[in-house]
Amino acid sequence: MPVFRTASEEETIALGEKLARQLPRRAVVLLIGNLGAGKTTLAKGIVKGLEVAAPEEVSSPTFTLIHEYGQSRRVYHIDFYRLETARELATLGLEELFDREAVFLIEWGERFPEYMPAERLEIRLREVQGDEREIEVTVPAPTRGAELI
Amino acid sequence: MRILGIESSCDETAASVVENGTQILSSVVASQLGTHGKYGGVVPELASREHLRAIVPVVREALTQAATKLEDLSAVAVTEGPGLVGSLLVGMTYAKSLCFAVNLPLIGVNHLEGHIHAVVLEARQEGTGVAYPALALVASGGHTHLFEVQPGFHYRLLGKTRDDAAGEAYDKVAKLLGFGYPGGPVIDGLVPYGNPRAVRFTLAKMKGNVLDFSFSGLKTAVLRWVEARDLSREIEARRNLLRATPQPTTEQWLAVTAPATLDLLASFQRTVILELLGRAAAAAESIQARSLIISGGVACNAGLRAAAREAALPYPVYFPTPGLSTDNAAMIAAAAFPKLESGAFDDMSLTARANLVLA
Repeated sequence: MPVFRTASEEETIALGEKLARQLPRRAVVLLIGNLGAGKTTLAKGIVKGLEVAAPEEVSSPTFTLIHEYGQSRRVYHIDFYRLETARELATLGLEELFDREAVFLIEWGERFPEYMPAERLEIRLREVQGDEREIEVTVPAPTRGAELI
Repeated sequence: MRILGIESSCDETAASVVENGTQILSSVVASQLGTHGKYGGVVPELASREHLRAIVPVVREALTQAATKLEDLSAVAVTEGPGLVGSLLVGMTYAKSLCFAVNLPLIGVNHLEGHIHAVVLEARQEGTGVAYPALALVASGGHTHLFEVQPGFHYRLLGKTRDDAAGEAYDKVAKLLGFGYPGGPVIDGLVPYGNPRAVRFTLAKMKGNVLDFSFSGLKTAVLRWVEARDLSREIEARRNLLRATPQPTTEQWLAVTAPATLDLLASFQRTVILELLGRAAAAAESIQARSLIISGGVACNAGLRAAAREAALPYPVYFPTPGLSTDNAAMIAAAAFPKLESGAFDDMSLTARANLVLA
């Protein structure tokens, strides 16, 4: 799967726009990376590419947990940073949200992989140096039994 | 005219009775911090369950302390957003039921407008009032906004954070270093023991709207600083302290914090304050503000208050008293008062809105 390199915040946003154009109408995207890796920045680009909001409108959902953008095309920008247990996660009502035709951008989504839909994209962001980032897009192999759900 | 205010947008379940937008007859806050502390943040399900448990006793206590019966009330005011939808719903449903049962008018209030009115209420108490146009900085764990406030409480958004909120930056830095939640009070208490100029952080340069904030770069810079050193023993010592003592004193924190870390905290806080006050002052100048309002949980920060005093700005700067800076219901009742006077009531179709905007 492709690995991209971006040299600045602007380039990360531009990459997000490009990725957005390849997303199906319903998609779950896990944004995986350390503090400051650029998860929110990439989310800005994807939201911009989907034409649901301007990048300036997209802020960190850490405290508020779920941000919602767009009308006809909808994006849920979610953050698991504060969630510690699956029990807490269960009460966010994600199963119901996942039924909707929307794009889900989930920061720290790797914390609860077993609760994420098998059909998903995983985007890993790593700091290379300064503002430079390595951004890897993967489609995880379906886990055994996933076809039963 | 007495208004019962109800607030449940995030951590706190709160109720208050305020008379004529001025006299706080009661202000009861059932803090959920004890519940959240061990999770390092706000957990939505715990939040809504705790709100559900607290709402009836908190309202009853507010009415009792105010020696007020339901029939003495002129209206019920409730936070309609922004916040966690499950938490907001508890206050909203309770307020609507109460209004329906005793036939009282219902007034929905934006949480951010409430924070601004915490200051307006106290200025009314002083008999001075706030001179308009005012510039309002609302800074907390979830919000960092600059509003122009015109007479009649008309608002215009001048800037807001593009990534992390100011309080969120405190929480993330505190968690990174092994301090507890919330991070603001702990860091603020340790800042006097560090050198605020020891670590050089660059201020955020905003493209586009220069009145917008960004705290993500500062957070990342703190992370890099920590990664460049071996702080694991120090951090572990603090986590142990936190396990043994739920709310350590400043002295206890000092015993497990190295001088270099204290310098880092002081430098971090200095940078946050420069960002907040710098942009607030620039925004105030751009609208020729006649006063500056600083409200929200971050307004409790002693360093921020001292810096605002020392800046000798050419207009008065208002902070709410600490009890009215953090989330409370007196500010919700106060914000509803002008709406009561003008008859701007809501009906039973009022709903909790997680993404409600003020302007």
